[in-house]
Amino acid sequence: MVDLIKKTTKTLQESLFSSIGSSVLTIATTYLVINFFRGMLGFALTSDKDWLAVLNNMQLYMVQAYPEEDFIRVWLSVGLTFVLAGLSIGIWRSEERVQSSQIFNSFFKGGLGVLFFTIIAPTNSSFMGNDGSVVTEEVFSMDTRLGILIPVVIFCTIFFGLRFINLKFTVNGSDMVFFYLFIPIALIWFVKLPTIQLDSSNERIIPDPLMPIASTTKIPWTVIFVSFLASYFIGMYLKNIKSIKSAMSLSWFLLPLLIFSWIFKKPQIDMSAVLGSDLPIFGVFMLWGFLVITFVNNSLFKKYYSYYLGVTFLLTLLGVFSGLPMLAKTCLLLIALFSVVVPAVSTSSQGKRSLLIVWAVALVTLTFLLRGGASDTGIVVPGSSIFGGFSLTWLLAIFGTYVSFPLGVLLALGRNSKLPIIRIVCTGIIELTRSVPYITWLFFASVTLAVFLPAGVEFNLIVRVLMVTAFFSGAYFAENIRGGLQSIPKGQYEAADAIGMSPFQKISLIIMPQALRAVIPTLVSSAITAFKDSSLVTIIGLFDFLTIGKTVIGNQSIPVNFVGHDRENLIFVAIVYWIFTFTLSRRSMKVEKKLGLGER
Amino acid sequence: MSIIQVKDVKKWFGDFQALKGITMDVAEGEVLVIAGPSGSGKSTFIRCINRLEQHQEGQIIVDGIELTNDLKNIEAIRSEVGMVFQSFNLFPHLTVMQNITLAQIWVRKKNRSEAEEKAMELLERVGIPEQAQKFPGQLSGGQQQRVAIARALAMEPKIMLFDEPTSALDPEMIKEVLDVMKELAKSGMTMIVVTHEMGFAKEVADRVMLFDEGLLVEQNTPDEFFNNPKSDRTKLFLSQIL
Repeated sequence: MVDLIKKTTKTLQESLFSSIGSSVLTIATTYLVINFFRGMLGFALTSDKDWLAVLNNMQLYMVQAYPEEDFIRVWLSVGLTFVLAGLSIGIWRSEERVQSSQIFNSFFKGGLGVLFFTIIAPTNSSFMGNDGSVVTEEVFSMDTRLGILIPVVIFCTIFFGLRFINLKFTVNGSDMVFFYLFIPIALIWFVKLPTIQLDSSNERIIPDPLMPIASTTKIPWTVIFVSFLASYFIGMYLKNIKSIKSAMSLSWFLLPLLIFSWIFKKPQIDMSAVLGSDLPIFGVFMLWGFLVITFVNNSLFKKYYSYYLGVTFLLTLLGVFSGLPMLAKTCLLLIALFSVVVPAVSTSSQGKRSLLIVWAVALVTLTFLLRGGASDTGIVVPGSSIFGGFSLTWLLAIFGTYVSFPLGVLLALGRNSKLPIIRIVCTGIIELTRSVPYITWLFFASVTLAVFLPAGVEFNLIVRVLMVTAFFSGAYFAENIRGGLQSIPKGQYEAADAIGMSPFQKISLIIMPQALRAVIPTLVSSAITAFKDSSLVTIIGLFDFLTIGKTVIGNQSIPVNFVGHDRENLIFVAIVYWIFTFTLSRRSMKVEKKLGLGER
Repeated sequence: MSIIQVKDVKKWFGDFQALKGITMDVAEGEVLVIAGPSGSGKSTFIRCINRLEQHQEGQIIVDGIELTNDLKNIEAIRSEVGMVFQSFNLFPHLTVMQNITLAQIWVRKKNRSEAEEKAMELLERVGIPEQAQKFPGQLSGGQQQRVAIARALAMEPKIMLFDEPTSALDPEMIKEVLDVMKELAKSGMTMIVVTHEMGFAKEVADRVMLFDEGLLVEQNTPDEFFNNPKSDRTKLFLSQIL
């Protein structure tokens, strides 16, 4: 311990006070920094803060005006995500080990954080009553403060000490994930936070200060945690099944669609439409696909294959602009794309069988999702959109990236294509999209887009925003990926050609993996930008996470007075944004490290 | 019976004519070494044989299949012809094992265990079975080139093309690659080797050719080529490199 202090003093001397010049510089900088952050420190130390504005409006922050009786749908979607995450951790990551020293280190740092906030938290809080008088109440008594301080100091000392003892053991990485998740969920049950209570005349009363905040969320979160844990063990058990990994990837792919069309929505299914139009369409296309798969490599059919393709494309083009039901149009598009891919794969009986399964799964999913997505929703919410708050931000970020990333890959490949038509179209889309500000596109989505859609086709405002967002960030992704494509030496293409790979195999197995790896940092920064830019939707009247914090809560005067408490809300919003973007950049660094393994 | 027939092949890069009418045959099992100064068109020529470059005039017939713009023909020929490059061109994001099994699995449609068995057999043949799970970036140049040879052999080609396989290597590593190539030549593989290694040509080649300015200047057995060259260009070339 003495050694450590000596060492620290020495380091400080060497790095900060090594000469007269550096001493002056150190002192001057310290003074400037303190002055600069004085306002912030003042805010941190003052008692004039009302975090209740954040706590009391958590529901508004998360889902805006979504009706409470349909919350089960939101919980279901969160739960499904966690179940899939649990399964994935079990399947892919159950053998990851973490060094004990790393864990002690993070515990120590976490303890320091708690310590800092416990010390600076003010004792009293003042708020304005409905009659305009300032009321001061004690929100954080000395006893509570000491009650937190003493255990945390002990906790920190222990882990600080543990860092210097040479304990070399490793812990299962996923166990730690569960432990970290367990802490907040346990806290919801035990820690009580003050919420506002009102008396019969809507007057804010100073209540028994400790009321459980999470009374409505603790049961769902616990259920989700338990199913998360359960699915982890199921995943570990299923790990060695042959095609489980591709099944999981497919589930992740379908999850956002399912959430969007069935869980965030209460589809009111018209059974006569299902029987009258969905089933026949499904049958026809199933048969069509089956025939193509079976006969495409038949020598007789092969001669006329290019004619067949031409007719199919023409039919698709005509069909898309005709009055056919949405499902038939989408199926036409699908079969046209499918017909291009089939001949290469449908060479053996095994290939035919797996193609048939793929076709059936694709059709069932498409029918299911389209019927769910196109039906009227039973959820009635005041205002223009049924989502708001964090759900909307999250939806725009996830769904935007989810659609725009594959779109970006396609556009990048198209722009590099040798065929002039494809190249010109892709370049046109990219340049047109990038050259117009995102806000303009948002206005386009809210006002103009409806004019361009065929008569009778109407999309919800959120869907329209998603469409323009997909193209907008898709264009940026495309340019990033194109940069990656250009970094691949010509020799890689030649080597792939020389061992007889088809163009599709060459791109998907050799070129794309390397190109994407080269541009992970830019891709992540684009994704982060897209996540933050989602707050711009406020301009067309959607209530995203930030808008709720800034305008809705900052102006609340009835029944409780939160006027003028924008700062707390903004800080909260900033912290939430930061948590997500920081996690994303950390994860990407890990991925980079992992993929960079072979490079040395 | 000649496995490769080339008739009057001409090739231009823009205005520059790289090949000015090459005519030759390669017999099955023959080892052919092509020498020549840089810019003489020798690399361009062997790259034309598996259509990495496209010739504009003339005819190339490989194993009875003519090289045309028909993709089917090109794919058929590429799966018969293995190629080893000057700069190795291994896939850096895949392990050595994956580099060798990839084409077997995706092009030859073998199953994984079969492909891995074949890969191990080939790695043993080129002398580096212990490197199977490493990435190309972790290997020395000589080892990388041997992996590249194994990768080409995994497709069980009838013909192997070597485009200056030792030019990017340290002198010490050249020998280990040449040894693998000598062993391959002795096993009866048809090989066309573009190289400056005249020792290799003397030892294993059945025939040596000299290219200059897009023309085939001289072809002969190694003995005759080195000891009794006919053209003045060959004499000059030999005097400069020997």
